[in-house]
Amino acid sequence: MHKTPSSSYLGPGGLDLSKSFFTPIAGVEPPSPTKRRTKITVVGVGNVGMAIAQTILTQDLADELVLVDANSEKLRGEMLDLQHAAAFLPRTKIHAAVDYDATAHSDLCIITAGARQKPGESRLDLLQRNVSIFKKIVPPLAAYSPETIILVVSNPVDVLTYAAWRFSRFPANRVIGSGTNLDSSRFRFLIADHLDVNAQDVQAYIVGEHGDSSVALWSSISVGGVPILSFLQRQQITYEKKTLENIHREVVESAYEVIRLKGYTSWAIGYSVASLARSLLRDQRRIHPVSVLVNGVQGIDCGNVFLSLPAMLGRGGVMGITNVHLSEEEAEKLKKSAKTLLEVQEKLDYLLG
Amino acid sequence: MHRIPSSSYLGPGGLDFSKSFFTPINGSDCPSRSKHNTKITVVGVGNVGMAISQIILTQNLADELILLGVNPDKLRGEMLDLQHASAFLPRTKIRASVDYDATADSDLCIITAGARQKSDESRLDLLHRNVAVYKKIVPQLAAYSPEAILLVVSNPVDVLSYVAWKLSGFPVNRVIGSGTNLDSSRFRFLIADHLEVNAHDVQAYIVGEHGDSSVALWSSISVAGVPILRFLHQNQIACEKKTLENIHKEVVQSAYEVIRLKGCTSWAIGYSVASLARTLLRDQRQIHPVSILVDGLYGIEGGQVFLSLPAMLGRKGVLGITNISLSDEETQQLRNSAKTLLEAQAQVKDFIN
Repeated sequence: MHKTPSSSYLGPGGLDLSKSFFTPIAGVEPPSPTKRRTKITVVGVGNVGMAIAQTILTQDLADELVLVDANSEKLRGEMLDLQHAAAFLPRTKIHAAVDYDATAHSDLCIITAGARQKPGESRLDLLQRNVSIFKKIVPPLAAYSPETIILVVSNPVDVLTYAAWRFSRFPANRVIGSGTNLDSSRFRFLIADHLDVNAQDVQAYIVGEHGDSSVALWSSISVGGVPILSFLQRQQITYEKKTLENIHREVVESAYEVIRLKGYTSWAIGYSVASLARSLLRDQRRIHPVSVLVNGVQGIDCGNVFLSLPAMLGRGGVMGITNVHLSEEEAEKLKKSAKTLLEVQEKLDYLLG
Repeated sequence: MHRIPSSSYLGPGGLDFSKSFFTPINGSDCPSRSKHNTKITVVGVGNVGMAISQIILTQNLADELILLGVNPDKLRGEMLDLQHASAFLPRTKIRASVDYDATADSDLCIITAGARQKSDESRLDLLHRNVAVYKKIVPQLAAYSPEAILLVVSNPVDVLSYVAWKLSGFPVNRVIGSGTNLDSSRFRFLIADHLEVNAHDVQAYIVGEHGDSSVALWSSISVAGVPILRFLHQNQIACEKKTLENIHKEVVQSAYEVIRLKGCTSWAIGYSVASLARTLLRDQRQIHPVSILVDGLYGIEGGQVFLSLPAMLGRKGVLGITNISLSDEETQQLRNSAKTLLEAQAQVKDFIN
């Protein structure tokens, strides 16, 4: 990729300091292809895409960051706004492009692009529009970065991750949806806040479909190693099943509440996806509830479907799905989620061919 | 400040397991007053205020972050969006309020609130409107946090820093404007990008008014210790004064360009102010070009005025102004800048009382 000068007046034709400023050492070899840099592409520079891009930048997760979108003015504005902070950040090359050649050899491609629901539009119609958008985005991404990991954020994330998997023809370990990673963080926040303890000491997963039919794994919640349900039992603290359902519903509602209050969500999803990026690119082998291909797992055998389960992530993508124990009820809810998603996928088959 | 529960269903009246979860140690004392939390207040939760807040959070600069604004819905939405990321961040207490009592005992108060210029509005009219806004904000901030450092970001930043100083009654080392810290970063970015070198190795200051009459200190620019003008001379690289002026103008214009392209600037000013926050709160004694009171320096006469000069910052605020040597021309430009600002200050003097 040749350099585009940032200034009209610095460089050939203007004030050119570059030729004599540094003297290369004699006998220098060109950089070998193995001395590669970590490159992340973010597709879509709306509120979510930019919160993700900016958090990745602050946390120094990449050497190169490429922003892709259809709106070239917005793209350039966002790129400049990030570049202008150069004096306050470690050096990261930031590019913006409407074309996919700029994304070549990305280690991670994060897709946030997608249409927003129009008033009166059915979920299926919205989905069909978004699958058509993915049909334009995913094949060139995959062609330019055949070794990359694709991370889908756009909603509805589970079906769109399935679509990305089909369009890319990648092995399933390299196509992941952000899924319920954020829902689980919200869940952990509520519990941690109640106990006035650090959220990182709360282990709690919400799995299944990222949406109204997600499943809270109450049987798996523990704080500092103390399983919550057995704690409640030992302390003879009674609770109703309804209360647990209400807490779960509060988690699902909180996303809508933020949208109602500030117009959209951005910061939390930004941190959530940056956390996934770190686990993947730095081979952290951490477990995150993310949308993965679950055919044949946890009794789900109805077909190829993506939904969230706790999965270990590393440089190779999804290293494995945790064999978390589900109660009968939780397993049943998960199977139902899978069936619903499969039905929706079937309606889109004509687009996915 | 008493704790407000985050969940309706977890806690008194709902499922409450907090009382028996942790056992305090017998004979524990209460945290002493000297075990102080670092507390930052951000006034204004628009694009700039939120970018600053989020970067402060990511860079773990505070134990407590208070968002202060006038719109309770927007405030609550932004607070929730940050809290939901708890699982991905070090623990920071985040609160949002329309009332100033929440800001008590802040170490640093960052003011981003202010009206935006209407298309048919003169700069002076905008200034009058913003002085009125500051009259509501600053006295209360100062009353609740008499030891705080005030960091003014709202524009026009130099005059508003003067206004904040007058309204707060604070000693002059504890009232600072973000000034040309960002302009200088943009300047360093352009030079660094041209030389393909890290922006941290470029020392370059833009001083004076944060605005059209800012002054680029060409005589002070150096890269890795190599003074640029002397380098040009030694290498017989011809350089017209016009070219230098164009490069400077490009820096000033780039802010307007970002606004035209994406509607506002946010990320760069966010990183710029977070950088100032770190230097101040961690007593880094780093030199930043920021808006400070200059009275009698560089032959600037006519009274007290706030404008940007390279100043060493630390826990006590402004520790000193660097005795940088200016060319005759730069000194004259600085005096002109000061004159423009003194005129603007004179016009709001009556409003302040």
